[in-house]
Amino acid sequence: MIETHHLSKFYSRGLYALRDLSLTVRKGEFVFLTGPSGAGKSTFLRLLLIQERQSEGEIFVNGSNLSKLSRREIQEYRRGIGFVFQDFKLIPTRTVLENISFVPQVLGVPPSQQRRRAFQVLKWVGLQHRMNAYPLDLSGGEQQRVAIARALVSDPVLLLADEPTGNLDPDLSLEIMNLLREVNAGGTTVVVATHDRELIRLVGRRTVTLDGGRVVELA
Amino acid sequence: MRMLDYALREGWASLWRGRGSSAFAIVAIALAIIVLGSLLLVTWNIERLLARWTSAAEFSVYLQDEATSEQRGAIEALIDDSRVADGREYVSKADALTRFRREFTELASLATGFEDNPFPASVEVRIRPDADNDGRADALVRRVATLPGVADVRYDREWLARIASGLAVVRGTGLALALLMALAAAVTVASVVRLGLQARRDEIEIMQLVGSPIAFIRGPFVAEGVLQGGVGASIALGLLWLGFAAVRAGWGVDLGALLDGDSMQFLPARFCASLVAGGMTVGGVGGFAAARHAV
Ligand SMILES: Nc1ncnc2c1ncn2[C@@H]1O[C@H](COP(=O)(O)OP(=O)(O)O)[C@@H](O)[C@H]1O
Ligand SMILES: [Mg+2]
Repeated sequence: MIETHHLSKFYSRGLYALRDLSLTVRKGEFVFLTGPSGAGKSTFLRLLLIQERQSEGEIFVNGSNLSKLSRREIQEYRRGIGFVFQDFKLIPTRTVLENISFVPQVLGVPPSQQRRRAFQVLKWVGLQHRMNAYPLDLSGGEQQRVAIARALVSDPVLLLADEPTGNLDPDLSLEIMNLLREVNAGGTTVVVATHDRELIRLVGRRTVTLDGGRVVELA
Repeated sequence: MRMLDYALREGWASLWRGRGSSAFAIVAIALAIIVLGSLLLVTWNIERLLARWTSAAEFSVYLQDEATSEQRGAIEALIDDSRVADGREYVSKADALTRFRREFTELASLATGFEDNPFPASVEVRIRPDADNDGRADALVRRVATLPGVADVRYDREWLARIASGLAVVRGTGLALALLMALAAAVTVASVVRLGLQARRDEIEIMQLVGSPIAFIRGPFVAEGVLQGGVGASIALGLLWLGFAAVRAGWGVDLGALLDGDSMQFLPARFCASLVAGGMTVGGVGGFAAARHAV
């Protein structure tokens, strides 16, 4: 699914955010990316989403070389990827349901299917009763569940989560992780970046540890 | 279709959200369209007038008072043989006086004071339109002028040509001015649309991350510009029409007389449609520039 060869990223020469990362994530895997703050976890996920370009090395996702994609192909590639961020990135002026149906809407899905599909995933994360609420009226845990629903609405093959529980209490964090585990059980490859070692221990999955941009432990 | 729907809805929402600054863009476009529209309105009406005058082209051969009927016959024969004339009419000295009295009633008292009739007899020749254009009429006029018994030949094409070339100058400068204003309007639209970008930044970021097609992301910006252009152009046309109606109400009768009884006309529908389309294009270009800057 994901294959990187000697992947590096630096913002100024000599100061590596990510250094010589060679890593394989198989299809259907659930992988934790951990390490202290500044280790390079977010950088790796940004490279995967092509929000930034690597400085050296190569990334292949599903066989395609990310640095070879044209602008149009990048957009196409992103349609197969769901993302979840620490700060949820919900649109405050749209309702919960609209936040989710926004994705099929801007992907050109017919209107009748937009809402139906959005409602389905919202129900799946257990928030159908809050469909007409606005994100800021929801608790942090609920907002993150909406974000997960939005990430799932276009049936991604790969789900990337960057500190998805960073703003949540421990019990809510576990709840979100269980949700991600369920997503993974449905066949979606999941990569979660978190510095929360306790949470990783509770979930118990393959873990890649970074420090200073280097892999220090590749389980 | 769905993209268009989304773009129009988001574009309109953004325009409305920033209606204060959108007004600037709309005014800028309206001004450009007003300049272009008034130019079209004036030149179009003058052109219709010129066309009428050109098709009604004629020249007058004024005869010396002592010209003989043989000389007149030779003149008329030359005109008939030239195949330049569509018809001709002999206007005697008496006819000329009557005509003067009829057309200039307020000056008729002047004419009664004349010892003897000061008006020369003439032959009025109506020129075939094609002959007017290809220079045969000019050649005939020059030949007739040399015949005995001819006092003068009046072929007033020069002032028509002068009007036509004056019109070209007016049109050229007006067009340049309108183009300049259109450019300024497009720049205004681009900055106004960019101002509204902030409010949609969350949405744009998510659209990019979920893989929305670039056209989908840029669409609302272009739509907002197009809408501003359409609104601006429509307002401009409305104002133009009001101005036109005011001119017609104030001076319509005089201008109508100048136009030989034909009334002034507002721009035909296809011109209006083109102006609105032009405003929308200018707005769209501005919106697209903003979109390219943003995404
Ligand atoms: N835009 C940027 N410009 C300069 N340095 C950056 C930028 N983004 C991240 N970094 C640096 O790259 C390193 C890795 O950052 P990041 O990937 O965010 O770490 P993590 O997510 O593991 O906390 C850090 O030292 C950070 O300061
Ligand atoms: Mg991070």
